Amino acid sequence: MALKKSPEKRPEQSAAAKQVIAALGEYLKKDERKLAATLSLREDLGLDSLAIIELLYRIEEVFNLSIPDEDLEKLQTVGDVIAYIENGMGPKRSAATVAKAPKTKKRK
Amino acid sequence: MQRRVVITGLGVVSPIGIGVGHFWRAALEGRSGITALRPLADFPLESYRCQIAGQVRDFQASEFLEAGIAERVDRYAQFAMIASREAVRDASLAMEHETPHRVGVIVGAGMGGMVMGEREITKLYRSNRPERVHPNFIPTITLNSASGLLAIQHGAKGPNLTISTACSSGAHAIGQALSTIRSGKADVMMAVGADASLTPLVFAGFCTLRALSTKFNKTPSLASRPFDRLRDGFVMGEGAGALILESLSHAKKRRAKIYAEIAGYGATSEAFHVVIPREDGADMATTMALALEDAGVSPAQVDYINAHATSTMVGDAAEVRGIRRLLKGRADHVVVNATKSLIGHTLGAAGAIGAIASVLALQNGIIHPTLNYEQPDAGCALPGISAKVQERRAKVALLNAFGFGSNNAALVFKKWR
Repeated sequence: MALKKSPEKRPEQSAAAKQVIAALGEYLKKDERKLAATLSLREDLGLDSLAIIELLYRIEEVFNLSIPDEDLEKLQTVGDVIAYIENGMGPKRSAATVAKAPKTKKRK
Repeated sequence: MQRRVVITGLGVVSPIGIGVGHFWRAALEGRSGITALRPLADFPLESYRCQIAGQVRDFQASEFLEAGIAERVDRYAQFAMIASREAVRDASLAMEHETPHRVGVIVGAGMGGMVMGEREITKLYRSNRPERVHPNFIPTITLNSASGLLAIQHGAKGPNLTISTACSSGAHAIGQALSTIRSGKADVMMAVGADASLTPLVFAGFCTLRALSTKFNKTPSLASRPFDRLRDGFVMGEGAGALILESLSHAKKRRAKIYAEIAGYGATSEAFHVVIPREDGADMATTMALALEDAGVSPAQVDYINAHATSTMVGDAAEVRGIRRLLKGRADHVVVNATKSLIGHTLGAAGAIGAIASVLALQNGIIHPTLNYEQPDAGCALPGISAKVQERRAKVALLNAFGFGSNNAALVFKKWR
């Protein structure tokens, strides 16, 4: 599953991509150049569900938007987050496919 | 030989009824206490991701509490006072016949006096006038405000403590009350769990933590669905549960009616994560095992489990894994229910209200339904979970309660005679 480091250098990054990467770099205290779109938030960057929620909270602030709970499952990689923002936050994926997927971890 | 401890009185304030009779009837009928969110302090609610809750409706504290008290204590403490008064009456505990220093109180509260807390903080930040912070602010938000009030209300001068372990607070209150009596520091303990923190800030916090159900905003009664495949987070509730615990010898001496024996208590930490449980349920299993050992009961003797089961994807699955890990083949033969399917997650009250459901199940041989259990989830199925009432002459009941902060509690109740 993990597509390991094949830093796909995209020559022209969109403004949204730059902002997402910047927010991510800031949150992870990591060099932005090491944050390739293919990296998975969970496996490659080691974020747990709370950390992903915190990161998306930051993204919501940067882009002044609200990401509904049911979209969380779509956001598995850095690239997913970028695409989500670039597509104007509501990628037209059917809700039915999402309903099957378990949401992120949390309890209590 | 350690002192045996029994339960002799019950009291409850819940989204499906105030008073044990109302609560139990509604529970057996499978009535849901989850509805569209009612106004929180006149705050606009449209932009909250979650639009539902288990609120205690049509509640006027002044109907239950003396004038001059009701309006001066926070909502969670009002609930605690009402539930414990019912429990004391139910136990026929006459304080004039008790030695005051032998009667104690332990309250479990996850959030405490947030209603007034939020109101005063907002007022100060908006007005910039520190002199207008209400003089009763500190006595109200101090986390032990309810346990202090209960002592004053009943003249209980024994050990007086407050336990705050988030969602397992109520269960720990009962467990610690058991320990207090066993150690000989008291003869009678009021063990209470209470929370009423459906406030604009706390509710927003649980929303942004993405802990709450958001897929059933249009159909509130379907939202709290522990163990079901379509569960998507918990529903916030509020309420209080109160139990009177006393040493068996004390109960016998005063010829109290006995609901059940509280026989075991397990307490652990997963030392893992602030909000995420270990998925394998190993520490949950250990907690249950410790409680059973404390009760002198083997896993094969467990008949009924009142599960923590909040209706979150990971939490429910981890609990079932923990149950299977501990009970092995017996897991397919226990009856299991989730009180949160009826009333949502009442946080600090949950363990205490669940304990009341457990004790009544043992006494009556009836297990209340787990609402909305429609499609088993392969990852967390147990044959003993049902959306219908189940009859079972259970002798041993196990109650689980797990809290943020990696915190686990389990209690064991035994049927009385």
